Amino acid sequence: MDVSHKKFNRVDLLTLEGRMDAASAPQLKQHIDALFEQGRYRIVLDLAKLDYIASPGLRVLIEARKRARDRKLTDIEGGDVRIANLPPRIKEVFDLTGFTSLFEIYNDTLDAVGSF
Amino acid sequence: METLTVPATLDALAHISAFITDATTRAGLDEHAAWQVQLAVDEAATNIIQHGYPAETPGNIDLAWHIAGGDLIVTLRDQGQRFTPEHVPAPDITSPLEERQAGGLGIYLMGQLMDSVKYEFDPVQGNILTLTKQIALPTATQVFELAGRLDAVSTQQAIAQVSAAIAAGTRHILLDLARVTFLSSSGMRALLLVRKELLAREGGELRLCSLQPQVREVFTLTGFTQLFALHQTREEALRAFGQSSA
Repeated sequence: MDVSHKKFNRVDLLTLEGRMDAASAPQLKQHIDALFEQGRYRIVLDLAKLDYIASPGLRVLIEARKRARDRKLTDIEGGDVRIANLPPRIKEVFDLTGFTSLFEIYNDTLDAVGSF
Repeated sequence: METLTVPATLDALAHISAFITDATTRAGLDEHAAWQVQLAVDEAATNIIQHGYPAETPGNIDLAWHIAGGDLIVTLRDQGQRFTPEHVPAPDITSPLEERQAGGLGIYLMGQLMDSVKYEFDPVQGNILTLTKQIALPTATQVFELAGRLDAVSTQQAIAQVSAAIAAGTRHILLDLARVTFLSSSGMRALLLVRKELLAREGGELRLCSLQPQVREVFTLTGFTQLFALHQTREEALRAFGQSSA
């Protein structure tokens, strides 16, 4: 899996590409942990190019959103991890595991970034 | 039976994936079913790697697959800690974020993705996990265009191709009669034989479309409108496949 990072003023966009399984999921966790350490708790994950996700990837997503939401930032809203674009295979895993209702999901990357 | 033995480490997941891709391709699974098997085996192997063996002394995972009785059967064996599925609580997939637990999702997914999941323990062989996926029959629809006068001889010739498709596993067959100008009683008999041949098979559906008025009249006069699914257009007929029996 490749993870690329784009920094906006108030939001960080991480674009995931390839397979997120037990071997690669820690890579995403490292990226997210690094952002949290810099006090950046507003993250959009663009999944448009993610081909595959297994439960270790789901675990990283849920733990990241829990931690981000626990942060009360000074602006109107606190932190969050939001999702942009859900390819069919990823959506199917989200639906099977009840993840669809756990996340704010946007069909457009800029909408997701602008939602903060 | 094909087999693969890998060390129970995360690096092995890619080898396992390739091994399973080969299995699903050779079993003729469609892309969706292939992905389901891929994910289920990935989850099973991940559980063995992360929970079965102590991290400092990983053992092996023995994988095998074979095809039997229309099923693709994949087994994973390991000599790690005995696994008791009853001790893993089913995840609550409806609770809100704050209460949501990320554990147990792998086992849950396996059950959702496969037709059966069976755990066994053998004192010698260790944990044996058997994952089964039914190999679905091909459901692609084949359209045959018949033309001209359908008498005994010409219908037989046209029908030979259809019979070959049925023998090759096609279960949805559409006969487009738009260019058929005449249907004799022996032509009708040949159509009945094809219908019988197809309906004898699980999931078989025969549909006819675009009948000219004089051909439709033959069906009406013989009362065979009841026996055949007749459609005005090809599009309508294609949409009807898989919706109800025909």
